[in-house]
Amino acid sequence: MTVLAVFVASGTSTETDRSASTLVTVLTVAVFVGAYVFIATEWVHRVTAALGGAAVMVVIGATDAHTAFFAEETGVDWNVIFLLLGMMIIVGVLKQTGLFEYLAIWAAKRARGRPFAIMAMLCTITAVASALLDNVTTVLLVAPVTLLVCDRIGVRPEGFLIAEVMASNIGGTATLIGDPPNIIIASRADLSFNDFLVNLAPFIVVVFVVFLLLARWLFRHSFTYDPERARAVMEIDERRAIRDPALLRRSLTVLVLVMIGFVLHSALELEPSLVALLGAGLLVVVSGTATADYLAEVEWPTLVFFMGLFVMVGGLVNVGVIGSLGEAAIDAVGDNYLAAATGLLFGSAVLSAIVDNIPYVATISPLVSDLIEASGGAAGAQALWWALALGADLGGNATAVGASANVVVLGIAERSGYPISFWRFTRYGLVVTALTVTLAWPYLYLRYYAF
Amino acid sequence: MRARDLAEPFPVVHLDTPALEATRLLVEQSLPGLVVVDREGVPLVIMPGSQVLRFALPEYVEEDRSLASVFSESDADKFCQALRGRTVAELMPSKQFMPKKSSARPIVTPDANLMEIAAVMADQHSPVVAVVDEGEIMGVITVHRLLGAALPA
Repeated sequence: MTVLAVFVASGTSTETDRSASTLVTVLTVAVFVGAYVFIATEWVHRVTAALGGAAVMVVIGATDAHTAFFAEETGVDWNVIFLLLGMMIIVGVLKQTGLFEYLAIWAAKRARGRPFAIMAMLCTITAVASALLDNVTTVLLVAPVTLLVCDRIGVRPEGFLIAEVMASNIGGTATLIGDPPNIIIASRADLSFNDFLVNLAPFIVVVFVVFLLLARWLFRHSFTYDPERARAVMEIDERRAIRDPALLRRSLTVLVLVMIGFVLHSALELEPSLVALLGAGLLVVVSGTATADYLAEVEWPTLVFFMGLFVMVGGLVNVGVIGSLGEAAIDAVGDNYLAAATGLLFGSAVLSAIVDNIPYVATISPLVSDLIEASGGAAGAQALWWALALGADLGGNATAVGASANVVVLGIAERSGYPISFWRFTRYGLVVTALTVTLAWPYLYLRYYAF
Repeated sequence: MRARDLAEPFPVVHLDTPALEATRLLVEQSLPGLVVVDREGVPLVIMPGSQVLRFALPEYVEEDRSLASVFSESDADKFCQALRGRTVAELMPSKQFMPKKSSARPIVTPDANLMEIAAVMADQHSPVVAVVDEGEIMGVITVHRLLGAALPA
């Protein structure tokens, strides 16, 4: 099975076998850490790092075709890949409807050009859309229309853009499909769409309101109101953003069906990935969109990155590293799940602020899974998943590189002549993350551990 | 026929020429593009009219084209006002998009044949090429002039 193990273990004594497997384990850890350093520092593109790492895992014998492609525990998690693919196709069609532009301008007019009201409404639209769709796509759609509205009312847009990307990361935390870490957690932990809705969404609604109040203070210098300029907003015609009303009606109908499918997926015995793919298929058929158009939104580099990552993490699981770490964690935690949840919440937030939260969650979730399995169904163990999700998702707000959406918005801001520096974003990000993650702790404690 | 036989004089603009003035030149002389030269008179880049439009448009319309539709007729009429107070230098594509290799510029040597000229125009999506002899601009060839010479009688 393992090229190197066979090569090294040319002898037959158990002594040689053991030293060969130790060597493979050491090499596997080294390759994993090396690839992680490349991903975190961006010395090479993250896709190259993940694929390169996966390739070396094969060469050193930490994984093989069966382990990498066909084993649920140690290989590519196809549920994650196809859920992402399905949602990307749905977004690809939805994007062409002009719905987001319509909603954002409608909101700005409802706010009658008052800056904070506009920010609050745009953030709400962003948060809700991010809970249902990919965060990056949501901010890509909301950022340009925000620039237009800010241009019209004569305020600088930086604060609006920063607030929106944070609203996107917060809103995405609420559902299974909102943020890629949640998709990974759901698949590993076999949690349903409704599990996320019941356990995370209520807290996210509260924390989002707190975030808006904080934004009122954080970005207070962005809210200069000029009644003359505000009138310019009322002249924009949002209905013209919708180019094809029939396409919009069909897309919204399918989107509603997909959401119903997600809510009922356990009862229907359909995996979320299949709900997304069926929805994508239906939407492609009823919208009549050209192949190139609906595939344009599919981020192949992201999907390939996930595959490479899963193979690398699978290698770690396969050689037993995750198992040993899991045992150590089980010993350390004992039955003190509150301490484990606390560590997981704050630790995940710190790590996700520094490195991409997707590789982090992909690596840590098999470990958390071991921990929960060993608990034998103890109360409080299952809530470790929520601590992980909240820490990893909300931690993405802390720095300019904490989440992909942050990077994308900073790019748009720069191209539009309003550059936002790494530190400027991070100054706001640290405040928002510290507050939201700290609020998550009493939520977890009161709901899962206090009584 | 060679490039030198087709080259004709053509107005050039400098990096510090006001953007509005340069655009007006484009309109009044019905030019297909602007030849931008550096201080020594060497052509830096040829800016087709579409490039000028890109800079008149707000960046958010380029990010999301459907936003162009939401402007009222009277606001949309005034989109060229964005050029006010800006220079040609600001309209230039940013450094990373500037051609580094000389083969990637819309420039031909005086002895280039018609097919070479056509190949450069097609490759660079440029309606104009400059004929440059040892760093000095001899003139330009427009796509109309090239086709006029190349079309069968």
